Amino acid sequence: MKKAVIAKRISQFIFLSIFIYILWSTTYPLTGLFPAETFFKLNPLIMIITSISERLILAGIIFSFVMLLLTLIFGRFFCGWVCPLGTMIDIAGYFNRGRRQLTDAQNRKLRSPKFFILSVVFIASLFGLQIAWILDPMVISARLVSLNLIPTMTLLINRSLEGLIKTFGLYGWLYDFYRSLQTSFLGVKIRFFAHSIVIFLFFYAIIVWAVYLKRSWCRGLCPLGALYAFFAKPALLKRKVEKCNRCMKCKTDCRMGAIKDGLDYVRSECVLCMDCVYDCPQKSTSFVFADKKKEDNKGEIEKGPIEKGPASGISRRNFLALAFFSLFPFNSQMPARQKVIRPPAALKEEEFLNRCIRCGNCMKVCITNGLQPALLQAGLSGIWTPHLVPEIGYCEYRCTLCGNVCPTQAIPKLTVEEKVRTRLGLAKIDRKTCIPWKKKKNCIVCEEHCPIPNKAIKLKKFKIGDKIVLRPYINQDLCTGCAICQTKCPVRPDRAIKVYPVKVTHGKNQGPVSIKI
Amino acid sequence: MKILSVGFLSGIFLELFSRAGLSHVFAAKSNARPKKNIKGFHDLVVVKGADPALITRKAVEGLGGMEKFVKKGSVVVIKPNIAWDRAPEYAANTNPEVVAALVQMCYEAGAKRVNVFDIPCNSPERCYENSGIKKAALEKGAKVYFCDSWNFVKAAFTYKSPMEGWPIFRDAIECDTFINCPVLKHHGLTELTLSMKNLMGVCGGSRGLIHIDIARKLVDITDFISPDLTVIDAYRILTRHGPSGGDLKDVNLARTIIAGTDPTLADAYAAKFAGKEPMTISYIKEAVQRKFGSADISAADILEVNV
Repeated sequence: MKKAVIAKRISQFIFLSIFIYILWSTTYPLTGLFPAETFFKLNPLIMIITSISERLILAGIIFSFVMLLLTLIFGRFFCGWVCPLGTMIDIAGYFNRGRRQLTDAQNRKLRSPKFFILSVVFIASLFGLQIAWILDPMVISARLVSLNLIPTMTLLINRSLEGLIKTFGLYGWLYDFYRSLQTSFLGVKIRFFAHSIVIFLFFYAIIVWAVYLKRSWCRGLCPLGALYAFFAKPALLKRKVEKCNRCMKCKTDCRMGAIKDGLDYVRSECVLCMDCVYDCPQKSTSFVFADKKKEDNKGEIEKGPIEKGPASGISRRNFLALAFFSLFPFNSQMPARQKVIRPPAALKEEEFLNRCIRCGNCMKVCITNGLQPALLQAGLSGIWTPHLVPEIGYCEYRCTLCGNVCPTQAIPKLTVEEKVRTRLGLAKIDRKTCIPWKKKKNCIVCEEHCPIPNKAIKLKKFKIGDKIVLRPYINQDLCTGCAICQTKCPVRPDRAIKVYPVKVTHGKNQGPVSIKI
Repeated sequence: MKILSVGFLSGIFLELFSRAGLSHVFAAKSNARPKKNIKGFHDLVVVKGADPALITRKAVEGLGGMEKFVKKGSVVVIKPNIAWDRAPEYAANTNPEVVAALVQMCYEAGAKRVNVFDIPCNSPERCYENSGIKKAALEKGAKVYFCDSWNFVKAAFTYKSPMEGWPIFRDAIECDTFINCPVLKHHGLTELTLSMKNLMGVCGGSRGLIHIDIARKLVDITDFISPDLTVIDAYRILTRHGPSGGDLKDVNLARTIIAGTDPTLADAYAAKFAGKEPMTISYIKEAVQRKFGSADISAADILEVNV
């Protein structure tokens, strides 16, 4: 029966590889085999909760229903066989040698918080607040891979090859090889993401916890796991034990704590990791599609004490706490003022904060690396949302990548024609530092880079002494706030031209703000 | 893995080394590209015709053929203008067919390797792709690549120059033949972007600062690189809202290629061609004043051909 365990490991490896591959290929020119949103479209927590809270039906929600349907048949196969975070947790759990055995009561206590979390997320979504992103495993792992793992890996490979080439003067074949790597998978630009250490620490905490108790995150906190647990309850695929001599090995080994003292198991907790099948000394455990009618009194093991279902695990005290906590986020839902530059045509600030799941796709794909994860710049509720940092990169005029990879359409898909008319902000010149204004010397770097065909930055000739100085002005009707002027401005430390976010006046779910050109 | 880590460590040491300024100790007096001073049959060849590739070929043949500039087994750099994320019709970048024709001629003359690169203002990937130059040059067998920020050398001049110590892309200096292939277009500061302005594309650092006292800096950098051949693409001319353009109404179809060995003369002719008085363009004026080149079109031997 080793086959089942190997099959599971291969499946985990393949899905983790696909997951990383998809994020790796989320870059210009988006020619990956799978769309960038694939894993998020398969995520019922994100899709359903966002749809409820936003009162709309997200494109591709049907795929997440398929996942729920499959769960009705197979149980929580997703957690054990597919989930990228689950795989990483399993790898960490491998280093956990001390077999800590919990009692049934402890196990029950451990598994209840995730249902509580799911309830909070669900109730909040009924009130129009989407907080599924906070603890969604797919979001956590995507953010880690996109903003941490891939930049670090590319940086290391880049720097190593660079060092080799420079030290040994290998400007021939090795340099050519390096260049082909760059254009194939390394990427031309080494990306940097601000405060990505916080993202890493968040992930690290989950992983370290798994070293102390296997799959602790999945058992205790994961709201997606809780959602799947509901649907896994009546699953058709069941664990069957024949000829049991009560050696209790399966119970000791179960990473989910799903096997009870009576050797019965909690179906909604089983992730089909196949350990019990593999470890059983009697080789008597198997998973079969059991016939409903025959099932009763057929198993050779006695049923344990009837356990309360997960939903009823919420006591009155818990429910009050739940009600309290679901109200809590509304305090922060004041009409949000936009403090940062959002990606092109992003929804109105409060809607954007609600719709954005902080997956990091837009930041990963941004060709100039200008989209950065916010820490507290957009307020506490805006953590890890994308914002444009012109000091790092600008919004490329004819680029529409970020809208094309957003799984929840917090950044709408735009055509190039729409994009070039989309306003992100407005540029403003600081005449106290601008070279032609202050030092009376020619510069015009901002005007030169302005991508608007008619130039949103105009030059006026000034005769100063015996020479002519060209000074920049901004035509506010034409400026889209793409911020290339700020990126390229040679004045340091503060740029002399800066882009400020503007109040966007379009209504809910409307298209981009259009400007006349 | 081991070899990678060795590379990584040595990379760090090298960086510290160069940051400490020790690399200057070993630097030669001037690291400029050696001047070849190859003269063509004429000072300038101007060819007009409908096919960009054909007129490019005729222009170079008029100077004496590519064999004059490219020796067998040599490494050639073709530096077009790939600065903007614009399609070829917008005339913000060099015409890809002109670049492709040059690449082909270089290989026909026996070049070992032809490198095509530029340091764009927009995202390099998009510029290379959308200008059509990457595809066109790759088809003819050229090496098209991006300029890595660590592969720059600091310019050292024999005379006092504001460009002293400016980072210059290594491959632009270490080549046997340098062909400068700009596009003739409007520019807000210098009126026109011509061959000397195009050489800003091999400079790294904060290039915006080159704009201050631009005339002198451009002549110095042209002197530093000393292109062997200058082929100005005036097939499409961007007349307004340069250097990036973006409106087809601003583009004139002139169907002309200007080829020469003296960058100043080529620029002066191109300026005249675009309807500007050459001596009003600051860097042409500077070049003439320093006797770096000549802008005297009437005295020059110019071959004009219609195809």
